[in-house]
Amino acid sequence: MHEFLAQLVNGISLGGIYALIAIGYTMVYGIAELINFAHGDVYTLGTFVALAIFGALGISGELHGIALVVDSGLALIGAAVCCGLIGMAMERLAYRRLRNAPRLAPLITAIGVSFILQNLMQLWKGSAPIPFPAVLPNPRFDLGPVSITAQQIAVVALAVAAMFALQIVVTRTRTGAAMRAVAQDRQAASLMGVDVDRTIAITFLIAGLLAGVGGFVSGVYYQSTWFLNGFSAGLKAFTAAVLGGIGNIAGAMLGGFLIGIIESFATWLIGGQWSNVTVFAILILVLVLKPSGLLGERVPEKV
Amino acid sequence: MLSRSLVLRLCAAAPLAFALAACSSNASTASSSAAQAPAGNAVKIGIDLPLSGADSSVGRSTLNGMLLAIEQANAKGLPGGVTLQPDQLDDAVQGVHSPQQGVANARTFISDDGVLVMLGPYNSNVAAAQIPVTNAAGLAQISASTVSDGLTLGDDAKNLRRANPTTNTFFRVSTTDSRQGAAAARFARQLGKKTVYIIDDNETYGLDLANVFEKDFTQLGGTVIGHDHIDKGTQDFKALLTKIAATKPDLIFYGGTTSTGAGLIRQQMFDVGLGNTAFMGGDGIPDIATVAGPRADGTYYTVAAPNADKLLSARQFVRDYEARFHEPIGPYSANAYAATQVAIAAIAAATKENGGKVPTRAQVLAQIAKTNALSTPIGPVGFDAGGDVLEPVVSLYTIKNGQPVFISQQSVSK
Repeated sequence: MHEFLAQLVNGISLGGIYALIAIGYTMVYGIAELINFAHGDVYTLGTFVALAIFGALGISGELHGIALVVDSGLALIGAAVCCGLIGMAMERLAYRRLRNAPRLAPLITAIGVSFILQNLMQLWKGSAPIPFPAVLPNPRFDLGPVSITAQQIAVVALAVAAMFALQIVVTRTRTGAAMRAVAQDRQAASLMGVDVDRTIAITFLIAGLLAGVGGFVSGVYYQSTWFLNGFSAGLKAFTAAVLGGIGNIAGAMLGGFLIGIIESFATWLIGGQWSNVTVFAILILVLVLKPSGLLGERVPEKV
Repeated sequence: MLSRSLVLRLCAAAPLAFALAACSSNASTASSSAAQAPAGNAVKIGIDLPLSGADSSVGRSTLNGMLLAIEQANAKGLPGGVTLQPDQLDDAVQGVHSPQQGVANARTFISDDGVLVMLGPYNSNVAAAQIPVTNAAGLAQISASTVSDGLTLGDDAKNLRRANPTTNTFFRVSTTDSRQGAAAARFARQLGKKTVYIIDDNETYGLDLANVFEKDFTQLGGTVIGHDHIDKGTQDFKALLTKIAATKPDLIFYGGTTSTGAGLIRQQMFDVGLGNTAFMGGDGIPDIATVAGPRADGTYYTVAAPNADKLLSARQFVRDYEARFHEPIGPYSANAYAATQVAIAAIAAATKENGGKVPTRAQVLAQIAKTNALSTPIGPVGFDAGGDVLEPVVSLYTIKNGQPVFISQQSVSK
């Protein structure tokens, strides 16, 4: 029981990061019908930017009190904004012109953008693993049979907060209504006076913001990154989006947490080398039995 | 109308003429370089190492050891006025050492007549892919760091030499996994560790090392609680470590490199309450502090080489290296220097034998195989018939304040 709970905590905190990335995949797919393969690299960029901000602030160790809130807040917001802008720039420069091209063209372009981002990051920080300062004090809290670290709480809290904020934007604001309209029918939306270009740009902005938050969280949590970090995390997050039903935000969250938990439990019960196999085997099973993903059908709008 | 079609034809012809010109100029450069190789006395030494990506810090310091030996030999002069020219290629693709790229690099060296010997690779799985190629071509290859048993021993090695079963082209100045794993198991028992949990990265090097460690640790009276393999590219080891924490081992042994997981595992040990548990690995993890930062402290690792700082014959090398590169030597810099010395001595001897003319690859290979008690910073070097170094030494280090601290060394024989 004790170990079951400990592994559940591990899985949920890992899943929080997957969920943050998965939302970006799913939103962009839902609205622009594009699988943005560069999204995992935007996530890595988030870690890099946070690292650069901590470097510029001269921070290399644990922060406490006001400094913890202000400095890590700065790094978090800086990473999120920077990734959001990069997401928008990517859409403007690489994807917008291809919006009406055959499906394969933007897909290949996305892979190209992914390589460009990877190589820019390699030029920037080199290709070796880069340590990330352990800014967050990490006491362990013993809650009955299970103990949780402060970092794990922070990961999950940030992920959940970001998702709630997103849910409010999508369901309660005019921009959110425009996004849902574009997702349902791009042409009809534009006939109704929705600025499609702007809406898609905002979608990329939000996806980038969340990837930036994910990148910050991953840096703080793992205290290490490198330029290819987003490759496997991006692949898992994409899997999470498909598992939950691509295009569905709640599905991406659910998928992210599920994949994190499955990975932890597979490592615990079967063995470390089987965790990826298990994740993808379950993905295949779900797709065979329910091709639209776990939550794919329940929501008619794709956002 | 007529004039227009003429213009069109001219346009069509222009690129053709251009292409022809390009062809002929290619041909002339090719023939001139072919003529140059025997006429001049430049001999190329091909170097294949991971120079970018996760292994780049150890790859670079290994390369530096090789370059230093070549520069010093050139400054001193070689018989027949031969000058040595390093030709290094990177075998890392997307940041990770790649057997496919290693083979491509070996083919590049083989097709270049100026290359008489090849140094490298750094990683065992790259070597396993390269050996059949260099064996078929008869190009001698000396590695400073590969340790997987199957490269030189047993049926695996025979399989690698299928093309030319009677000729061995692969030599290494580092020792084998079985010797290193056995030494690591002895060190672990000397440190008083009774129980161990083993993790490896499922690569040629890591799996071999972990298996040998498991066997020897058990033979020496220790208990192996479990043995897990991990997947490439994993970043989160908390699930695995939580499982291990429940078994309360004295020691966690990792077979693999810093980049395949050692750094993150060491770091995350602290998050699941294993911070005070000993962590040990082989020569794939001396750079663990680059990932684990201050948490690397207390890590034990073995290196399949004597401690270059302590060895008398190594002091001059360490001084020269630091003067030339303005940084401390890497874990395999001394081995790399020694491997290069072997290559240079063989080229010199083969040149003499060839009457002062640039020798052939076969002549250089024959001289390398004859190497005996060559004085190097890692002690006298000679090879057995399989290409393994004759009296290998394994050293144990720990990390204190981010710096390696030498603990002890043992000489291992077969």
